[in-house]
Amino acid sequence: MRRSPRFFSRRLTARERLVYGAATAWFVAVSAALVWPLYVPFARLRPFVLGVPFALAFLAGVLLASFAAGVALYWWESRHGYLDQDTSD
Amino acid sequence: MPAWVVVFGVTVGYLLASLIVGLLSGRRASSGPEGYIAGDRSLGFVLMYFIMGASIFSAFSFLGGPGWAYSRGAAAFYILSYATVGLVPWYAYGPRVARLGRRFGYVTQAELFAHRFSSRWLSAALAIISLVAFVPYLVLQMRGAGYVFNVVTEGRIPLWLGAGIAYGVVLIYVLASGVLGVGWTNTFQGVFMMVLAWGLGLYLPYRLYGGVAPMFQELAAAVPEMLAPPGLDGAGDRWSWGGYSSAIAVSAIGFSLWPHYFMKIYTARSERVLKKTIIFYPTFQVFLIPIIFIGFSGILRYRDVVPADAILPTILMSMDLPAFVVGLFCAGALAASMSTGDALLHAAGSIMVRDFVCVLSPRALTGVEQTRLIRVLVLVISAFAYYFAVVSELSLVALLLLAYGFLVQIAPVLVATFYWPRATPQGVLSGLVIGCGVVVLFYYVPALQWQQIQPGIFGLAANVITLVVVSLLTRPMDEAHVEQFVVS
Repeated sequence: MRRSPRFFSRRLTARERLVYGAATAWFVAVSAALVWPLYVPFARLRPFVLGVPFALAFLAGVLLASFAAGVALYWWESRHGYLDQDTSD
Repeated sequence: MPAWVVVFGVTVGYLLASLIVGLLSGRRASSGPEGYIAGDRSLGFVLMYFIMGASIFSAFSFLGGPGWAYSRGAAAFYILSYATVGLVPWYAYGPRVARLGRRFGYVTQAELFAHRFSSRWLSAALAIISLVAFVPYLVLQMRGAGYVFNVVTEGRIPLWLGAGIAYGVVLIYVLASGVLGVGWTNTFQGVFMMVLAWGLGLYLPYRLYGGVAPMFQELAAAVPEMLAPPGLDGAGDRWSWGGYSSAIAVSAIGFSLWPHYFMKIYTARSERVLKKTIIFYPTFQVFLIPIIFIGFSGILRYRDVVPADAILPTILMSMDLPAFVVGLFCAGALAASMSTGDALLHAAGSIMVRDFVCVLSPRALTGVEQTRLIRVLVLVISAFAYYFAVVSELSLVALLLLAYGFLVQIAPVLVATFYWPRATPQGVLSGLVIGCGVVVLFYYVPALQWQQIQPGIFGLAANVITLVVVSLLTRPMDEAHVEQFVVS
């Protein structure tokens, strides 16, 4: 048995690599954008967006973007029949 | 009729509705631990969505969230930040946890880890960590409920009686209906909280400033430092980016590991239901935005409110609102407290029986005995928490911070369980002990901290290093056993 860290049980197709790689990169980027240092340039008062400070509007935008990315991933897995098996294996 | 009678009547009406929903919902579950703890693994999307959403939104969110925005300004944004990404890791490992749960009959978090590492001591250690994390959290919910009753009756009902009434109701439906009682009441309470949060979050800025935009314009002119992250610290000085960012990191990592949330993975009917719940979870988080608005609305109009957590009741009681509306708010605050408290109580009893008593007991308990013992422990733990809520003067915020530091130490155990075949029981257990030890050390010797970074982060680093080193120095586990858990 190979004892080094593993993330998938089988070789992924090129499309699967692309989708799961992009999803992982996206959520890592989203997480990083919420904390120092990536959040610092967005942690300002102006411009106001829909009446709220830019720093808060940015966080709301990240929340919505995170939701949209999740829906896209779910839709893709559903369309390709992955949701009735363990796709993380 | 005096206004407080109307307010009290609405609150009692809400409690009765919660009780009826809780009692009716538990009749479908089987009588064994799998039915009582995991709802026979039959929960659909709506129930899962509201269990996960409402369990998160506690008395802290409803009273503490506005309190943070009111006293610490943009520091409150950290609550919105960590909740955005907190549940995402479930998308990767959640389906496997659910499948292993179905295969091996797990209903708690520690059962999975203890089986993977063939260690009953790991199970007992995780049970203790869970209890240490749950009790202060539960005490805060009880105090919140008692406080609401005290305020709405203008002091006629003392805190101890208010907490007793609210948690008496919680106990009845948790004891009678188990996780299904928790689930359906959370659905009822979740809808209630969302409507109320949006209603108040938009109404208060409108009433006090003419709208959300005018409120922020006025705040920007008067107190700009309150609107720019990282906001202020507890002493009113500028918070450091280290403190702000590490608070998000610790909370986000710990979020999906809270044992009472983790257990809900086992309750999902299918992988499709579980993933849909995770994907739609951010739609519940949006509810934190109006909660933050409420706190900001008090900054210029209600100065020097102490404690800051009282800002929302203070605003409401001063606005000459119809008593019925004030009653609805009180019911919403109670819903926030109870929807978290019920899940904590249910999980605490279940974990102590399954992960502590069952693994250390010299003889195997039958399913009926386990369920009976869980109910007894739910009563004992609630009595214990109630004592701290109404009698003890112990600082719970301090304990809660420690609890978060401990919870984060479960993260390496989870990663090792699924992704590192070479991890050994000795490595995982020693990492957990060292990690928790470092958290305690950094907590009690604050001079060791750097940039106000949370002790949990230092504990996590020590935990990971210990886990890796000790695992590499000890004998690998049986391959066939490990293959059942890790990605092969």
